[in-house]
Amino acid sequence: MPTIIACFKWVIDEAYIRRGFSGDLDFSSVDYKISDYDRNAIEEAVRLKGSHGGSVIAMTVGTPEATKGVKDALSRGPDQACFIADADFNKLEPSQTAAILADVIRSRIVNYDLILCGEGSSDLYAQQVGARLAEHLEIPCISFVQKVDIDGGQVVAERRVEEGIEIVAAPLPALVTVLPEINVPRIPGVKDTLTASKKPVMTIRKGDLAPLGGARLQTVGMTAARMDRICEKFGTEAAEITRFVDALRKKAVIS
Amino acid sequence: MAGIWIFAEKREQALELLNIGRRLAAKTGTAVSALLPGNPDAARDYIAHGADEVLLLPPLAADQSCEAYLPVIVEEAKTADPDVFLCAATPRGKELAARIAARLETGLCSSCIALNYDEGGKNLEMERIAYGGAAIQKVTCLTRPVMATIPPRTFEPVTAEAGREGHIRKLPAPPPSRVRVLERKVRTRETRDITEAKVVIAVGRGFEKPEDLALARQLADALGGEIGCTRPISEENHWLPQELCIGLSGIQIKPDLYLGLGVSGQIQHVTGIRNAKVIAAVNKDENAPIFGVADFGIVGDLYDAAPKLLQELKRGS
Repeated sequence: MPTIIACFKWVIDEAYIRRGFSGDLDFSSVDYKISDYDRNAIEEAVRLKGSHGGSVIAMTVGTPEATKGVKDALSRGPDQACFIADADFNKLEPSQTAAILADVIRSRIVNYDLILCGEGSSDLYAQQVGARLAEHLEIPCISFVQKVDIDGGQVVAERRVEEGIEIVAAPLPALVTVLPEINVPRIPGVKDTLTASKKPVMTIRKGDLAPLGGARLQTVGMTAARMDRICEKFGTEAAEITRFVDALRKKAVIS
Repeated sequence: MAGIWIFAEKREQALELLNIGRRLAAKTGTAVSALLPGNPDAARDYIAHGADEVLLLPPLAADQSCEAYLPVIVEEAKTADPDVFLCAATPRGKELAARIAARLETGLCSSCIALNYDEGGKNLEMERIAYGGAAIQKVTCLTRPVMATIPPRTFEPVTAEAGREGHIRKLPAPPPSRVRVLERKVRTRETRDITEAKVVIAVGRGFEKPEDLALARQLADALGGEIGCTRPISEENHWLPQELCIGLSGIQIKPDLYLGLGVSGQIQHVTGIRNAKVIAAVNKDENAPIFGVADFGIVGDLYDAAPKLLQELKRGS
């Protein structure tokens, strides 16, 4: 029966980010969430367990505050969690996150069959951690997956490519990154939350890991995206509709 | 030969990357090498379009996909040691780039939308979209090669130049990848390509029934445009095909006119229209975020406004 690892990231909910006066980002009233597509990864891991048995480990790298995310993840059906935490882990870039996950999986999770990741995180959407992790572990990688199943010793997946869809197979263990179309993540109930708090969590600290390599990508600026638009409003009365269409004609975008 | 490397699955993407490649090469006095998968006949064409060297990747067996090239590309990159390596940000291109970056132990700027050398001409500063479109992240890469994936249609394709010369070199065939393709389903386009449309009418959640999309189609017909949609319309309601979904995880468009009907203006969607010349919108919620990013907004029910708009357009033309 398969052991499935579902990776997730506890991220700032981008809907709460405000634009500051000087074009900076105002994070003062933000809330956090499990990154959108990672919820699909967790759901899919639990769904596969439902049809094939086995167990699901939810795994994350983050700051100690991400403990809320660990509880949230466990309320979605995984059997246990692996929480790699350090106060410095809010500034990791994809190559570092992948290296940390690989280190922990190699050293502490002996027999795994499938690793599921979201296609990209809702905050930085670099879409690198899954693919890089597969390289570190030297296992096959299948990305942009909208349907997945385990068939004997292999994973079979439908992935989206430029021209349409490819149905591919790879021997286990393998890593799959999923698109949101793959399932509809559950909304955990009160009972799920209560059960989650009783599930085992393996907490790993920075000191338990191999020394972390330096960042290869450096963020030198993070500013609010500018959309300088006219922002003129119109009503629906006849005269207003005429004025609206005239405005478009003046801009020469319609004839 | 150190310099600028480019990799794309398709010719049109390669021409866009060659455009950036030529610009960067001119700045740093280096050459441009293009990896060409599959068809060696295109090598001359790539040279005419700015490649100084074309590295031919041999055609793959039927059950192989372009990730199979990974070990060959990595080996060649280790030998040639390029300064910059750009890949087209197609699904397979993104995966391949991340895996190449992992093997070369270097950084990668994903979905890069702008890249320029800093004043000293040493560091390549790259911009990308973050937080679902709310922010622009600027990054530099501290290791070699500097890698980036470039979304298709972000840059103009390069134009051909007569009399250009270049080398063509064959790279070895890769061993078979462990990922085998069992079946390919080529998407038959149910619709026209809206990335080229001058006018795009976007359908949002304000529409109550799929039949009502006729309103959007009539407006598109009246304006000589095409229709697109927000993610919920294609992915949750399945009222329109996925290739019409506009946004960060869908397609990015740059029409002369974008008109959103019943579109709330979630940042992920807005990111797909930021390069539209004029953004217009109809929404009954005065506080909908779309009005903050629109040039012209009608505050009102689309079921009231759209027929009136149609009438006005017919009257005026």
